[in-house]
Amino acid sequence: MNVHPGSTSRAKGPLVFLDMDQQALDDAYDQEIWAPNRGLIVERRKAASERARAILGQPKRVAYGPGEHEGLDIFSCGIKGAPVNVFVHGGAWRRNVAADYALQAEGLVRAGAHCVIIDFINVDQANGDLFPMYEQVRRALAWVCRNAKSFGGDPGRIYISAHSSGSHLAGVVLTRGWREEGLPPDAFKGAVLLSGMYDLAPVALSARSSYVKFTDDMAHKLSGQRFLDGLHTPLVLAYGTCETPEFQRQSRDFADAVRAAGKPASLIVGAGYNHFELLETLANPYGLTGRAMLEQMQLVK
Amino acid sequence: MNQAAKVQEAKGPLVWLDMDQKALDDAYDQMVYAPNRDQVHKRNMFNSDRVRARLGAPKRLAYGSKPVEQLDLFPTSNPNAPINVFIHGGAWRTRSVKDYAFLAEVIVRAGGHWVGLDFDGVEGTKGDLLPMADQVRRGVAWVYKNAKSFGGDPNRIYVSGQSSGAHLAGCIVTTDWKDYGVPADIVKGALLCSGMYELKPVRLSKRSEYVAFTDEAEEKLSSQRRLDRLNCPVIVAYGTYETPEFQRQNREFAAAVKAAGKPVTLLVAEGYNHFEIAEAIGNPLSLLGAAVLEQMKLV
Repeated sequence: MNVHPGSTSRAKGPLVFLDMDQQALDDAYDQEIWAPNRGLIVERRKAASERARAILGQPKRVAYGPGEHEGLDIFSCGIKGAPVNVFVHGGAWRRNVAADYALQAEGLVRAGAHCVIIDFINVDQANGDLFPMYEQVRRALAWVCRNAKSFGGDPGRIYISAHSSGSHLAGVVLTRGWREEGLPPDAFKGAVLLSGMYDLAPVALSARSSYVKFTDDMAHKLSGQRFLDGLHTPLVLAYGTCETPEFQRQSRDFADAVRAAGKPASLIVGAGYNHFELLETLANPYGLTGRAMLEQMQLVK
Repeated sequence: MNQAAKVQEAKGPLVWLDMDQKALDDAYDQMVYAPNRDQVHKRNMFNSDRVRARLGAPKRLAYGSKPVEQLDLFPTSNPNAPINVFIHGGAWRTRSVKDYAFLAEVIVRAGGHWVGLDFDGVEGTKGDLLPMADQVRRGVAWVYKNAKSFGGDPNRIYVSGQSSGAHLAGCIVTTDWKDYGVPADIVKGALLCSGMYELKPVRLSKRSEYVAFTDEAEEKLSSQRRLDRLNCPVIVAYGTYETPEFQRQNREFAAAVKAAGKPVTLLVAEGYNHFEIAEAIGNPLSLLGAAVLEQMKLV
Protein backbone atom coordinates (compact mmCIF):
# COMPACT_ATOMS: atom_id res chain seq x y z
CA MET A 1 0.00 0.00 0.00
CA ASN A 2 2.55 2.50 1.08
CA VAL A 3 4.38 2.97 -2.16
CA HIS A 4 6.69 5.59 -0.80
CA PRO A 5 7.79 7.95 -3.51
CA GLY A 6 11.18 8.17 -1.82
CA SER A 7 11.80 4.52 -2.52
CA THR A 8 12.23 5.12 -6.21
CA SER A 9 15.59 6.58 -7.05
CA ARG A 10 15.60 10.03 -8.57
CA ALA A 11 17.97 12.95 -8.43
CA LYS A 12 17.16 15.15 -5.45
CA GLY A 13 16.53 18.79 -6.23
CA PRO A 14 17.25 21.84 -4.07
CA LEU A 15 15.79 21.63 -0.56
CA VAL A 16 12.51 23.49 -0.16
CA PHE A 17 11.51 22.63 3.40
CA LEU A 18 13.52 20.72 6.01
CA ASP A 19 15.21 17.86 4.15
CA MET A 20 12.66 17.83 1.32
CA ASP A 21 13.01 18.96 -2.26
CA GLN A 22 9.95 20.21 -4.16
CA GLN A 23 8.83 16.75 -5.25
CA ALA A 24 9.17 15.28 -1.75
CA LEU A 25 7.27 18.19 -0.20
CA ASP A 26 4.53 18.00 -2.81
CA ASP A 27 4.20 14.27 -2.13
CA ALA A 28 4.12 14.87 1.62
CA TYR A 29 0.99 16.98 1.18
CA ASP A 30 -0.64 14.60 -1.30
CA GLN A 31 -2.56 11.86 0.52
CA GLU A 32 -3.15 9.85 -2.65
CA ILE A 33 0.53 8.97 -2.77
CA TRP A 34 0.67 7.65 0.78
CA ALA A 35 -2.90 6.39 1.12
CA PRO A 36 -3.95 5.05 -2.30
CA ASN A 37 -6.96 3.24 -0.80
CA ARG A 38 -8.87 6.48 -0.16
CA GLY A 39 -11.61 5.45 -2.59
CA LEU A 40 -12.45 2.27 -0.66
CA ILE A 41 -12.55 4.10 2.62
CA VAL A 42 -14.87 6.76 1.23
CA GLU A 43 -17.21 3.98 0.06
CA ARG A 44 -17.17 2.48 3.53
CA ARG A 45 -17.78 5.86 5.15
CA LYS A 46 -20.76 6.63 2.94
CA ALA A 47 -22.28 3.17 3.51
CA ALA A 48 -21.79 3.50 7.28
CA SER A 49 -23.32 6.98 7.24
CA GLU A 50 -26.43 5.70 5.48
CA ARG A 51 -26.59 2.92 8.05
CA ALA A 52 -26.29 5.44 10.89
CA ARG A 53 -29.16 7.53 9.50
CA ALA A 54 -31.29 4.42 9.11
CA ILE A 55 -30.69 3.65 12.79
CA LEU A 56 -30.76 7.17 14.26
CA GLY A 57 -33.19 8.83 11.88
CA GLN A 58 -32.55 12.01 9.92
CA PRO A 59 -30.65 14.70 11.79
CA LYS A 60 -32.12 18.09 12.54
CA ARG A 61 -30.78 20.52 9.94
CA VAL A 62 -30.11 24.05 11.15
CA ALA A 63 -28.66 27.12 9.42
CA TYR A 64 -25.91 28.82 11.42
CA GLY A 65 -25.48 31.59 8.86
CA PRO A 66 -27.00 33.03 5.71
CA GLY A 67 -24.70 31.35 3.18
CA GLU A 68 -25.77 28.30 1.20
CA HIS A 69 -23.14 26.11 2.86
CA GLU A 70 -23.77 27.35 6.38
CA GLY A 71 -25.77 24.49 7.79
CA LEU A 72 -25.23 21.83 10.40
CA ASP A 73 -26.70 18.43 11.26
CA ILE A 74 -27.74 17.71 14.83
CA PHE A 75 -28.09 14.11 15.97
CA SER A 76 -29.76 14.29 19.36
CA CYS A 77 -29.27 11.68 22.07
CA GLY A 78 -32.61 12.72 23.52
CA ILE A 79 -31.08 13.68 26.87
CA LYS A 80 -31.51 17.22 28.16
CA GLY A 81 -28.29 18.80 29.35
CA ALA A 82 -26.11 16.22 27.62
CA PRO A 83 -22.61 17.02 26.38
CA VAL A 84 -22.10 17.95 22.74
CA ASN A 85 -19.45 16.92 20.23
CA VAL A 86 -19.01 18.95 17.06
CA PHE A 87 -17.26 17.23 14.15
CA VAL A 88 -15.31 19.22 11.56
CA HIS A 89 -14.64 17.16 8.44
CA GLY A 90 -11.51 17.15 6.31
CA GLY A 91 -10.87 16.75 2.61
CA ALA A 92 -7.80 18.82 1.78
CA TRP A 93 -10.07 21.89 2.21
CA ARG A 94 -11.82 21.01 -1.06
CA ARG A 95 -13.97 17.94 -0.55
CA ASN A 96 -16.77 16.38 1.49
CA VAL A 97 -20.09 17.24 3.12
CA ALA A 98 -21.49 16.67 6.60
CA ALA A 99 -24.03 14.10 5.39
CA ASP A 100 -21.26 11.65 4.54
CA TYR A 101 -19.97 11.73 8.14
CA ALA A 102 -23.21 10.73 9.88
CA LEU A 103 -21.35 7.62 11.03
CA GLN A 104 -19.63 9.82 13.64
CA ALA A 105 -22.95 10.27 15.41
CA GLU A 106 -23.99 6.79 16.49
CA GLY A 107 -21.23 6.14 19.02
CA LEU A 108 -21.74 9.55 20.60
CA VAL A 109 -25.52 9.27 20.74
CA ARG A 110 -25.32 5.80 22.29
CA ALA A 111 -22.84 7.08 24.86
CA GLY A 112 -25.23 9.88 25.82
CA ALA A 113 -24.01 12.88 23.86
CA HIS A 114 -25.41 15.02 21.08
CA CYS A 115 -23.45 15.02 17.86
CA VAL A 116 -23.26 18.04 15.57
CA ILE A 117 -21.68 17.73 12.12
CA ILE A 118 -21.03 20.99 10.33
CA ASP A 119 -21.05 21.96 6.68
CA PHE A 120 -19.01 24.86 5.39
CA ILE A 121 -17.79 26.28 2.09
CA ASN A 122 -14.78 24.62 0.46
CA VAL A 123 -11.71 26.32 -0.89
CA ASP A 124 -12.67 25.87 -4.54
CA GLN A 125 -16.04 27.50 -3.92
CA ALA A 126 -14.17 30.29 -2.08
CA ASN A 127 -11.83 30.92 -5.03
CA GLY A 128 -8.78 29.56 -3.27
CA ASP A 129 -9.25 31.57 -0.09
CA LEU A 130 -9.14 29.70 3.23
CA PHE A 131 -10.49 32.63 5.26
CA PRO A 132 -14.17 32.11 4.32
CA MET A 133 -13.85 28.44 5.34
CA TYR A 134 -12.23 29.31 8.61
CA GLU A 135 -14.82 32.00 9.33
CA GLN A 136 -17.70 29.62 8.63
CA VAL A 137 -16.23 26.90 10.83
CA ARG A 138 -15.67 29.49 13.55
CA ARG A 139 -19.26 30.73 13.28
CA ALA A 140 -20.63 27.19 13.26
CA LEU A 141 -18.73 26.33 16.43
CA ALA A 142 -19.84 29.59 18.05
CA TRP A 143 -23.44 28.86 17.04
CA VAL A 144 -23.26 25.56 18.90
CA CYS A 145 -21.91 27.30 22.01
CA ARG A 146 -24.67 29.92 21.94
CA ASN A 147 -27.50 27.59 20.97
CA ALA A 148 -26.62 24.36 22.74
CA LYS A 149 -29.58 24.63 25.06
CA SER A 150 -31.97 24.88 22.11
CA PHE A 151 -31.31 21.23 21.27
CA GLY A 152 -30.76 19.90 24.78
CA GLY A 153 -26.99 20.40 24.88
CA ASP A 154 -24.99 21.49 27.89
CA PRO A 155 -23.19 24.73 26.90
CA GLY A 156 -20.59 23.94 29.54
CA ARG A 157 -19.66 20.61 27.92
CA ILE A 158 -18.96 21.29 24.27
CA TYR A 159 -16.21 19.24 22.63
CA ILE A 160 -14.71 19.16 19.16
CA SER A 161 -13.50 16.31 16.97
CA ALA A 162 -11.92 16.88 13.59
CA HIS A 163 -9.89 15.29 10.83
CA SER A 164 -7.22 16.50 8.42
CA SER A 165 -7.99 19.98 7.06
CA GLY A 166 -10.89 20.03 9.54
CA SER A 167 -8.34 19.68 12.33
CA HIS A 168 -6.44 22.57 10.82
CA LEU A 169 -9.53 24.80 10.89
CA ALA A 170 -10.60 23.66 14.37
CA GLY A 171 -7.06 24.30 15.62
CA VAL A 172 -7.29 27.93 14.56
CA VAL A 173 -10.68 28.38 16.23
CA LEU A 174 -9.31 26.88 19.46
CA THR A 175 -6.30 29.19 19.51
CA ARG A 176 -7.69 32.49 18.30
CA GLY A 177 -11.17 32.06 16.83
CA TRP A 178 -13.02 31.96 20.15
CA ARG A 179 -11.80 35.48 20.90
CA GLU A 180 -12.96 36.77 17.51
CA GLU A 181 -16.41 35.38 18.30
CA GLY A 182 -16.45 36.85 21.80
CA LEU A 183 -16.67 33.40 23.36
CA PRO A 184 -15.13 32.59 26.75
CA PRO A 185 -11.57 31.20 26.49
CA ASP A 186 -12.70 27.78 27.69
CA ALA A 187 -15.78 27.59 25.47
CA PHE A 188 -14.60 24.18 24.30
CA LYS A 189 -13.82 21.68 27.03
CA GLY A 190 -11.75 19.36 24.88
CA ALA A 191 -10.83 18.51 21.32
CA VAL A 192 -9.63 15.41 19.50
CA LEU A 193 -7.75 16.51 16.39
CA LEU A 194 -6.74 13.81 13.96
CA SER A 195 -4.05 14.20 11.31
CA GLY A 196 -4.17 17.97 11.08
CA MET A 197 -1.95 20.84 9.97
CA TYR A 198 -1.03 23.50 12.48
CA ASP A 199 1.56 25.54 10.64
CA LEU A 200 0.82 26.49 7.05
CA ALA A 201 4.31 27.61 5.97
CA PRO A 202 5.31 24.25 4.47
CA VAL A 203 1.84 23.70 3.02
CA ALA A 204 2.09 27.03 1.20
CA LEU A 205 5.36 25.84 -0.34
CA SER A 206 3.77 22.62 -1.59
CA ALA A 207 1.65 21.80 -4.63
CA ARG A 208 -1.41 22.64 -2.56
CA SER A 209 -0.69 26.23 -3.55
CA SER A 210 -2.01 25.30 -6.98
CA TYR A 211 -5.53 25.46 -5.56
CA VAL A 212 -5.10 27.42 -2.33
CA LYS A 213 -4.10 31.06 -2.87
CA PHE A 214 -1.80 31.28 0.11
CA THR A 215 -0.71 34.73 1.28
CA ASP A 216 1.69 35.59 4.09
CA ASP A 217 -1.26 36.94 6.07
CA MET A 218 -3.20 33.70 5.60
CA ALA A 219 -0.25 31.47 6.42
CA HIS A 220 0.27 33.44 9.61
CA LYS A 221 -3.27 33.95 10.87
CA LEU A 222 -4.39 30.44 10.02
CA SER A 223 -1.48 28.65 11.68
CA GLY A 224 -2.86 27.55 15.03
CA GLN A 225 0.60 26.73 16.30
CA ARG A 226 1.53 30.43 16.21
CA PHE A 227 -1.21 31.45 18.65
CA LEU A 228 -0.77 28.99 21.49
CA ASP A 229 -1.16 31.72 24.11
CA GLY A 230 -4.85 31.66 23.20
CA LEU A 231 -5.29 27.91 23.68
CA HIS A 232 -7.39 26.99 26.71
CA THR A 233 -8.73 23.62 25.55
CA PRO A 234 -7.12 20.27 26.42
CA LEU A 235 -6.10 18.53 23.21
CA VAL A 236 -5.84 14.95 22.09
CA LEU A 237 -3.77 14.84 18.90
CA ALA A 238 -3.42 11.75 16.74
CA TYR A 239 -1.67 10.55 13.62
CA GLY A 240 -0.95 7.23 11.97
CA THR A 241 2.46 5.73 11.26
CA CYS A 242 1.52 5.24 7.59
CA GLU A 243 0.72 8.93 7.04
CA THR A 244 2.92 11.21 4.98
CA PRO A 245 6.10 12.44 6.69
CA GLU A 246 4.66 15.96 6.95
CA PHE A 247 1.33 14.89 8.42
CA GLN A 248 3.21 12.90 11.05
CA ARG A 249 5.54 15.81 11.79
CA GLN A 250 2.77 18.43 11.97
CA SER A 251 0.93 16.59 14.77
CA ARG A 252 4.16 15.73 16.61
CA ASP A 253 5.47 19.29 16.44
CA PHE A 254 2.13 20.76 17.47
CA ALA A 255 1.94 18.42 20.48
CA ASP A 256 5.48 19.40 21.47
CA ALA A 257 4.70 23.11 21.09
CA VAL A 258 1.48 22.89 23.13
CA ARG A 259 3.29 21.05 25.91
CA ALA A 260 6.21 23.47 25.78
CA ALA A 261 3.63 26.21 26.34
CA GLY A 262 2.63 24.36 29.52
CA LYS A 263 -0.74 23.28 28.19
CA PRO A 264 -2.29 19.82 28.13
CA ALA A 265 -1.96 17.74 24.97
CA SER A 266 -1.77 14.00 24.57
CA LEU A 267 -0.44 12.44 21.40
CA ILE A 268 -1.78 9.18 20.03
CA VAL A 269 0.29 7.37 17.42
CA GLY A 270 -1.67 4.73 15.53
CA ALA A 271 0.56 1.88 14.33
CA GLY A 272 -0.31 0.78 10.81
CA TYR A 273 -2.85 3.52 10.08
CA ASN A 274 -2.80 5.83 7.10
CA HIS A 275 -4.49 9.23 6.88
CA PHE A 276 -7.97 7.90 6.09
CA GLU A 277 -7.87 4.67 8.06
CA LEU A 278 -7.13 6.55 11.27
CA LEU A 279 -10.45 8.41 11.03
CA GLU A 280 -12.31 5.09 10.96
CA THR A 281 -11.20 4.52 14.55
CA LEU A 282 -13.12 7.62 15.66
CA ALA A 283 -16.49 6.05 14.83
CA ASN A 284 -15.73 2.97 16.95
CA PRO A 285 -16.24 3.26 20.73
CA TYR A 286 -13.35 0.80 21.17
CA GLY A 287 -11.28 2.27 18.36
CA LEU A 288 -8.05 4.12 18.97
CA THR A 289 -9.36 7.67 18.69
CA GLY A 290 -13.05 6.93 19.37
CA ARG A 291 -12.15 5.64 22.80
CA ALA A 292 -9.97 8.69 23.45
CA MET A 293 -12.83 11.00 22.48
CA LEU A 294 -15.32 9.27 24.80
CA GLU A 295 -12.76 9.30 27.61
CA GLN A 296 -12.11 13.00 27.12
CA MET A 297 -15.87 13.63 27.27
CA GLN A 298 -16.04 11.46 30.40
CA LEU A 299 -18.53 9.17 28.74
CA VAL A 300 -16.69 5.92 29.47
CA LYS A 301 -18.21 4.02 32.37
CA MET B 1 -6.73 -1.93 -5.77
CA ASN B 2 -7.96 -4.73 -7.95
CA GLN B 3 -4.71 -5.17 -9.74
CA ALA B 4 -5.67 -8.60 -11.04
CA ALA B 5 -8.47 -7.09 -13.05
CA LYS B 6 -6.02 -4.85 -14.83
CA VAL B 7 -3.68 -7.61 -15.90
CA GLN B 8 -4.09 -8.18 -19.61
CA GLU B 9 -2.99 -11.66 -20.52
CA ALA B 10 -3.95 -14.33 -22.96
CA LYS B 11 -6.49 -16.54 -21.23
CA GLY B 12 -5.50 -20.18 -20.80
CA PRO B 13 -7.79 -23.21 -20.62
CA LEU B 14 -10.61 -22.80 -18.12
CA VAL B 15 -9.93 -24.49 -14.79
CA TRP B 16 -12.92 -23.41 -12.72
CA LEU B 17 -16.02 -21.52 -13.87
CA ASP B 18 -14.77 -18.80 -16.23
CA MET B 19 -11.26 -18.80 -14.77
CA ASP B 20 -8.01 -20.08 -16.21
CA GLN B 21 -5.26 -21.27 -13.85
CA LYS B 22 -3.80 -17.80 -13.34
CA ALA B 23 -7.17 -16.23 -12.60
CA LEU B 24 -8.06 -18.99 -10.14
CA ASP B 25 -4.66 -18.77 -8.44
CA ASP B 26 -5.11 -15.02 -8.09
CA ALA B 27 -8.63 -15.49 -6.75
CA TYR B 28 -7.20 -17.53 -3.87
CA ASP B 29 -4.24 -15.19 -3.30
CA GLN B 30 -5.30 -12.33 -1.04
CA MET B 31 -2.16 -10.31 -1.72
CA VAL B 32 -3.29 -9.80 -5.31
CA TYR B 33 -6.50 -8.10 -4.17
CA ALA B 34 -5.52 -6.81 -0.73
CA PRO B 35 -1.88 -5.77 -0.87
CA ASN B 36 -2.13 -3.97 2.49
CA ARG B 37 -2.20 -7.26 4.42
CA ASP B 38 0.92 -6.56 6.45
CA GLN B 39 -0.20 -3.05 7.33
CA VAL B 40 -3.57 -4.30 8.59
CA HIS B 41 -1.85 -7.06 10.54
CA LYS B 42 0.34 -4.43 12.19
CA ARG B 43 -2.82 -2.62 13.32
CA ASN B 44 -4.32 -5.86 14.56
CA MET B 45 -1.28 -6.49 16.76
CA PHE B 46 -1.25 -2.87 17.95
CA ASN B 47 -4.96 -2.93 18.80
CA SER B 48 -4.64 -6.35 20.47
CA ASP B 49 -2.02 -4.87 22.79
CA ARG B 50 -4.42 -2.01 23.57
CA VAL B 51 -7.21 -4.43 24.39
CA ARG B 52 -4.94 -6.43 26.72
CA ALA B 53 -3.87 -3.18 28.39
CA ARG B 54 -7.50 -2.30 29.05
CA LEU B 55 -9.06 -5.69 29.81
CA GLY B 56 -5.99 -7.31 31.37
CA ALA B 57 -4.19 -10.39 30.10
CA PRO B 58 -6.52 -13.20 29.07
CA LYS B 59 -6.73 -16.48 30.96
CA ARG B 60 -4.69 -19.07 29.09
CA LEU B 61 -6.36 -22.48 29.22
CA ALA B 62 -5.60 -25.83 27.57
CA TYR B 63 -8.37 -27.54 25.63
CA GLY B 64 -6.22 -30.46 24.50
CA SER B 65 -2.93 -32.20 25.14
CA LYS B 66 -0.81 -30.74 22.34
CA PRO B 67 1.04 -27.57 23.36
CA VAL B 68 -0.77 -25.53 20.70
CA GLU B 69 -4.21 -26.65 21.92
CA GLN B 70 -4.82 -23.69 24.18
CA LEU B 71 -7.17 -20.76 24.20
CA ASP B 72 -7.30 -17.15 25.34
CA LEU B 73 -10.30 -16.31 27.50
CA PHE B 74 -11.31 -12.70 28.03
CA PRO B 75 -14.02 -13.02 30.66
CA THR B 76 -16.92 -10.68 31.20
CA SER B 77 -18.15 -9.83 34.68
CA ASN B 78 -21.70 -10.77 33.72
CA PRO B 79 -22.58 -14.13 35.39
CA ASN B 80 -23.72 -17.11 33.29
CA ALA B 81 -22.89 -15.09 30.19
CA PRO B 82 -22.96 -16.13 26.54
CA ILE B 83 -19.67 -17.06 24.91
CA ASN B 84 -18.20 -16.17 21.54
CA VAL B 85 -15.55 -18.60 20.29
CA PHE B 86 -13.35 -17.04 17.62
CA ILE B 87 -11.52 -19.03 14.95
CA HIS B 88 -8.76 -17.02 13.32
CA GLY B 89 -7.78 -17.04 9.67
CA GLY B 90 -4.44 -16.87 7.88
CA ALA B 91 -4.90 -19.08 4.81
CA TRP B 92 -4.68 -22.09 7.23
CA ARG B 93 -1.11 -21.17 8.07
CA THR B 94 0.14 -20.93 11.65
CA ARG B 95 -1.05 -17.79 13.41
CA SER B 96 -1.34 -16.84 17.07
CA VAL B 97 -4.73 -15.93 18.48
CA LYS B 98 -2.85 -13.36 20.58
CA ASP B 99 -2.96 -11.12 17.50
CA TYR B 100 -6.77 -11.24 17.38
CA ALA B 101 -7.46 -9.96 20.90
CA PHE B 102 -8.58 -6.72 19.23
CA LEU B 103 -11.89 -8.49 18.61
CA ALA B 104 -12.48 -9.30 22.30
CA GLU B 105 -13.46 -5.95 23.76
CA VAL B 106 -16.69 -5.50 21.82
CA ILE B 107 -17.98 -8.85 23.15
CA VAL B 108 -16.69 -8.47 26.71
CA ARG B 109 -18.09 -4.95 27.19
CA ALA B 110 -21.45 -6.07 25.83
CA GLY B 111 -21.59 -8.82 28.46
CA GLY B 112 -20.19 -11.90 26.72
CA HIS B 113 -17.06 -13.98 27.20
CA TRP B 114 -14.61 -14.00 24.30
CA VAL B 115 -12.62 -17.14 23.63
CA GLY B 116 -9.95 -17.28 20.95
CA LEU B 117 -8.61 -20.68 19.99
CA ASP B 118 -5.05 -21.47 19.08
CA PHE B 119 -4.66 -24.45 16.81
CA ASP B 120 -2.20 -25.91 14.33
CA GLY B 121 -1.52 -24.37 10.97
CA VAL B 122 -0.86 -26.56 7.96
CA GLU B 123 2.85 -26.32 8.83
CA GLY B 124 2.12 -28.48 11.87
CA THR B 125 -0.10 -31.04 10.15
CA LYS B 126 1.91 -31.81 7.01
CA GLY B 127 -0.63 -29.78 5.09
CA ASP B 128 -3.63 -31.77 6.30
CA LEU B 129 -6.74 -29.77 7.15
CA LEU B 130 -8.57 -32.64 8.88
CA PRO B 131 -6.63 -32.45 12.17
CA MET B 132 -7.17 -28.66 12.23
CA ALA B 133 -10.93 -29.09 11.91
CA ASP B 134 -10.80 -31.68 14.67
CA GLN B 135 -8.85 -29.31 16.91
CA VAL B 136 -11.29 -26.43 16.62
CA ARG B 137 -14.23 -28.80 17.14
CA ARG B 138 -12.55 -30.15 20.28
CA GLY B 139 -11.98 -26.56 21.35
CA VAL B 140 -15.68 -25.76 21.10
CA ALA B 141 -16.60 -29.01 22.90
CA TRP B 142 -14.14 -28.08 25.67
CA VAL B 143 -15.80 -24.68 26.03
CA TYR B 144 -19.19 -26.41 26.37
CA LYS B 145 -17.93 -28.81 29.03
CA ASN B 146 -16.03 -26.15 30.97
CA ALA B 147 -18.19 -23.05 30.48
CA LYS B 148 -19.52 -23.04 34.01
CA SER B 149 -15.97 -23.01 35.43
CA PHE B 150 -15.48 -19.48 34.08
CA GLY B 151 -19.01 -18.13 34.44
CA GLY B 152 -20.11 -19.02 30.92
CA ASP B 153 -23.47 -20.35 29.85
CA PRO B 154 -22.89 -23.65 27.97
CA ASN B 155 -26.25 -23.21 26.31
CA ARG B 156 -25.28 -19.91 24.69
CA ILE B 157 -22.15 -20.70 22.71
CA TYR B 158 -21.63 -18.73 19.50
CA VAL B 159 -18.85 -19.15 16.97
CA SER B 160 -17.22 -16.59 14.73
CA GLY B 161 -14.52 -17.08 12.14
CA GLN B 162 -12.81 -15.12 9.41
CA SER B 163 -11.16 -16.28 6.19
CA SER B 164 -9.77 -19.81 6.65
CA GLY B 165 -11.14 -19.46 10.20
CA ALA B 166 -14.59 -19.09 8.66
CA HIS B 167 -13.90 -22.24 6.65
CA LEU B 168 -13.14 -24.04 9.92
CA ALA B 169 -16.10 -22.38 11.65
CA GLY B 170 -18.24 -23.66 8.76
CA CYS B 171 -16.94 -27.14 9.62
CA ILE B 172 -17.79 -26.53 13.29
CA VAL B 173 -21.42 -25.72 12.57
CA THR B 174 -21.76 -28.82 10.35
CA THR B 175 -20.18 -31.25 12.85
CA ASP B 176 -21.62 -34.58 13.87
CA TRP B 177 -21.25 -33.79 17.58
CA LYS B 178 -21.94 -37.39 18.65
CA ASP B 179 -18.24 -37.99 18.04
CA TYR B 180 -17.42 -35.32 20.65
CA GLY B 181 -19.85 -36.26 23.40
CA VAL B 182 -21.76 -32.98 23.35
CA PRO B 183 -25.31 -32.11 22.25
CA ALA B 184 -26.07 -31.66 18.56
CA ASP B 185 -27.23 -28.08 19.17
CA ILE B 186 -24.07 -27.01 21.02
CA VAL B 187 -23.60 -23.94 18.78
CA LYS B 188 -26.42 -21.39 18.89
CA GLY B 189 -25.27 -19.10 16.11
CA ALA B 190 -22.27 -18.25 13.95
CA LEU B 191 -20.61 -15.47 12.01
CA LEU B 192 -18.84 -16.81 8.94
CA CYS B 193 -16.86 -13.90 7.53
CA SER B 194 -15.02 -14.20 4.20
CA GLY B 195 -14.77 -17.97 4.35
CA MET B 196 -14.59 -20.96 2.02
CA TYR B 197 -17.27 -23.61 2.14
CA GLU B 198 -16.58 -25.65 -1.00
CA LEU B 199 -12.96 -26.78 -1.27
CA LYS B 200 -12.93 -28.02 -4.85
CA PRO B 201 -11.86 -24.72 -6.47
CA VAL B 202 -9.39 -24.11 -3.65
CA ARG B 203 -7.85 -27.50 -4.33
CA LEU B 204 -7.54 -26.60 -8.01
CA SER B 205 -5.70 -23.39 -7.11
CA LYS B 206 -2.07 -22.96 -6.17
CA ARG B 207 -3.08 -23.32 -2.52
CA SER B 208 -2.60 -27.04 -3.18
CA GLU B 209 1.14 -26.29 -3.16
CA TYR B 210 1.05 -26.03 0.63
CA VAL B 211 -2.26 -27.67 1.55
CA ALA B 212 -2.29 -31.46 1.06
CA PHE B 213 -5.84 -31.69 -0.22
CA THR B 214 -7.26 -35.22 -0.47
CA ASP B 215 -10.62 -36.47 -1.69
CA GLU B 216 -11.47 -37.19 1.95
CA ALA B 217 -10.57 -33.70 3.17
CA GLU B 218 -12.41 -32.07 0.28
CA GLU B 219 -15.53 -34.10 0.95
CA LYS B 220 -15.54 -33.91 4.74
CA LEU B 221 -14.48 -30.28 5.06
CA SER B 222 -16.65 -28.69 2.38
CA SER B 223 -19.34 -27.50 4.76
CA GLN B 224 -21.63 -26.60 1.88
CA ARG B 225 -21.96 -30.36 1.26
CA ARG B 226 -22.92 -30.96 4.91
CA LEU B 227 -25.78 -28.54 5.33
CA ASP B 228 -28.05 -31.33 6.63
CA ARG B 229 -26.14 -31.00 9.90
CA LEU B 230 -26.44 -27.23 10.15
CA ASN B 231 -28.79 -26.38 13.00
CA CYS B 232 -28.05 -22.80 14.04
CA PRO B 233 -28.60 -19.40 12.38
CA VAL B 234 -25.58 -18.20 10.43
CA ILE B 235 -24.47 -14.74 9.42
CA VAL B 236 -22.36 -14.90 6.26
CA ALA B 237 -20.35 -11.83 5.28
CA TYR B 238 -17.91 -10.63 2.65
CA GLY B 239 -16.43 -7.36 1.43
CA THR B 240 -16.97 -5.90 -2.03
CA TYR B 241 -13.18 -5.64 -2.56
CA GLU B 242 -12.49 -9.30 -1.86
CA THR B 243 -11.34 -11.65 -4.61
CA PRO B 244 -14.03 -12.89 -7.02
CA GLU B 245 -13.87 -16.36 -5.48
CA PHE B 246 -14.12 -15.17 -1.89
CA GLN B 247 -17.16 -13.12 -2.84
CA ARG B 248 -18.70 -16.05 -4.70
CA GLN B 249 -17.97 -18.62 -1.97
CA ASN B 250 -19.85 -16.56 0.60
CA ARG B 251 -22.72 -15.61 -1.69
CA GLU B 252 -23.21 -19.21 -2.78
CA PHE B 253 -22.96 -20.63 0.72
CA ALA B 254 -25.60 -18.20 1.94
CA ALA B 255 -27.81 -19.10 -1.02
CA ALA B 256 -27.35 -22.82 -0.34
CA VAL B 257 -28.27 -22.43 3.33
CA LYS B 258 -31.33 -20.46 2.34
CA ALA B 259 -32.27 -23.08 -0.26
CA ALA B 260 -31.99 -25.70 2.47
CA GLY B 261 -34.66 -23.74 4.34
CA LYS B 262 -32.34 -22.73 7.18
CA PRO B 263 -31.87 -19.28 8.71
CA VAL B 264 -29.10 -17.20 7.15
CA THR B 265 -28.24 -13.52 6.87
CA LEU B 266 -25.88 -12.35 4.12
CA LEU B 267 -24.00 -9.13 4.85
CA VAL B 268 -22.19 -7.39 2.02
CA ALA B 269 -19.70 -4.90 3.43
CA GLU B 270 -19.18 -2.11 0.91
CA GLY B 271 -15.63 -0.95 0.39
CA TYR B 272 -13.90 -3.63 2.45
CA ASN B 273 -11.15 -5.97 1.36
CA HIS B 274 -10.40 -9.36 2.91
CA PHE B 275 -8.28 -8.07 5.78
CA GLU B 276 -10.03 -4.81 6.54
CA ILE B 277 -13.37 -6.56 7.00
CA ALA B 278 -12.04 -8.36 10.09
CA GLU B 279 -11.57 -4.99 11.77
CA ALA B 280 -15.27 -4.28 11.36
CA ILE B 281 -16.12 -7.28 13.57
CA GLY B 282 -14.51 -5.37 16.43
CA ASN B 283 -16.75 -2.32 16.02
CA PRO B 284 -20.18 -2.66 17.69
CA LEU B 285 -21.55 0.01 15.35
CA SER B 286 -20.47 -1.65 12.11
CA LEU B 287 -22.65 -3.85 9.95
CA LEU B 288 -20.79 -6.96 11.16
CA GLY B 289 -20.18 -6.06 14.80
CA ALA B 290 -23.81 -5.07 15.32
CA ALA B 291 -25.02 -8.31 13.69
CA VAL B 292 -22.89 -10.45 16.02
CA LEU B 293 -24.15 -8.64 19.12
CA GLU B 294 -27.70 -8.95 17.89
CA GLN B 295 -27.26 -12.67 17.23
CA MET B 296 -25.91 -13.13 20.76
CA LYS B 297 -28.78 -10.99 22.09
CA LEU B 298 -26.28 -8.60 23.66
CA VAL B 299 -27.79 -5.42 22.23
